Amino acid sequence: MEGNILDAMRYVGAGLAMIGAAGAGIGIGLSVQGALTGMARNPDTYGNLLTNMILGIAFSEAIAIYCLVIAFLMLFKVV
Amino acid sequence: MEQEKRRPWRRWVVLVLMIAGFILGGIFVPVSPEIVVAPEKLSYQPLFTLPVIGSFYLVNTLPTLAVTLVLLMVVAYFTNRSLKKSAQTDLIPRGIGNLMEAVLEIFYNLTEGSAGKYTRMIFPWFATILIYVLFANLLKLLPGFESIGLIKEAHGEGGHAVTALAGNWALLTAEKGEFVLYPFFRGISVDLNFTVSLAIIAVVMIQVVGFRAQGIGYLSKFFNTRRMFKVPFFGAMDFLVGLLELISEISKILSFAFRLFGNMFAGIVLVAIVAGLLGRISILPAMVMMFELFVGVIQAFVFGMLTMVFMAQATQGHGGEDHGDGPAEARSEVHEI
Repeated sequence: MEGNILDAMRYVGAGLAMIGAAGAGIGIGLSVQGALTGMARNPDTYGNLLTNMILGIAFSEAIAIYCLVIAFLMLFKVV
Repeated sequence: MEQEKRRPWRRWVVLVLMIAGFILGGIFVPVSPEIVVAPEKLSYQPLFTLPVIGSFYLVNTLPTLAVTLVLLMVVAYFTNRSLKKSAQTDLIPRGIGNLMEAVLEIFYNLTEGSAGKYTRMIFPWFATILIYVLFANLLKLLPGFESIGLIKEAHGEGGHAVTALAGNWALLTAEKGEFVLYPFFRGISVDLNFTVSLAIIAVVMIQVVGFRAQGIGYLSKFFNTRRMFKVPFFGAMDFLVGLLELISEISKILSFAFRLFGNMFAGIVLVAIVAGLLGRISILPAMVMMFELFVGVIQAFVFGMLTMVFMAQATQGHGGEDHGDGPAEARSEVHEI
């Protein structure tokens, strides 16, 4: 095998950084669960619930995107 | 009741385009991309140099910024003209004035639900950030962006060989070589300068709206000495929580900037890699681009909405938590769907 250790550890670090996206997946699932339960109980508030669900999903997804940014920084040798 | 025979023709157009994409993918083979975080410089000499800050180069994203601003100004001019014309005749908006009014009314009702009496102060920021980021996110999906540019020698590893097309143009092929592509147009929301500057503007304006609404009492959000002398233990805790709010304002800048940048950057990397790997099956990068469309709209909405929500929170002090629900909420239920 060849290659230097720094590049290898960069790839390993990029992979480890993406473990944080698991939390985002669970968070999005929970918020969609809450929104769907609310929509099922009360279909009149569909528009309101949809807007707030999209907002909540964007917050959770932002955490996964932070992990992705760290992974990209390592993969493309910026850091 | 008689019905004309419906001829579904769109599916044949899609099929023909898929087959054409497959054939063209054999001629112009998609190459694996080179992905850089910072936008590339298009010229060797800087445009101008300021004494302390440094030199400013003509960067990849500046032509896209010019196109975005020109497009926004054209849309604004035509909307203004259409609304002025309808204001003179019968007050019924038509055409692009109608479209813009319908879209902005949705967001105005959203703002009214959260802000109450400060809607007129807050809504322009929400709508401006939304429309600007929406145009920025959607413009980078047009063909020609990030694929047409200068071919330069690659410093370091990577790089592709070129075959010459007509005139001065050349095409990157899939073999290893020494040339990389510096695109002429790169999406502006992929540039950290755009996102960080917009985030700083948004967070500074949140503080300004807070000061305008509450006067100097807005500082009691950060330096909370309300209970310090009555109940010393909880008062000290409130004071520390207030200091933590100050740090949270700084982290809002980072959060805004990296949410938009990360989503858009992940988008172009995903499209480029899927196109590089499976480019001949042209439906796959096309579906990724459709997802990018959705994500672009959502991120623009979320940026604006978060600015609006933080501004609305900044206008409320301690105990002013009950804001205008009644009539605004009833109206927003009629207009939402």
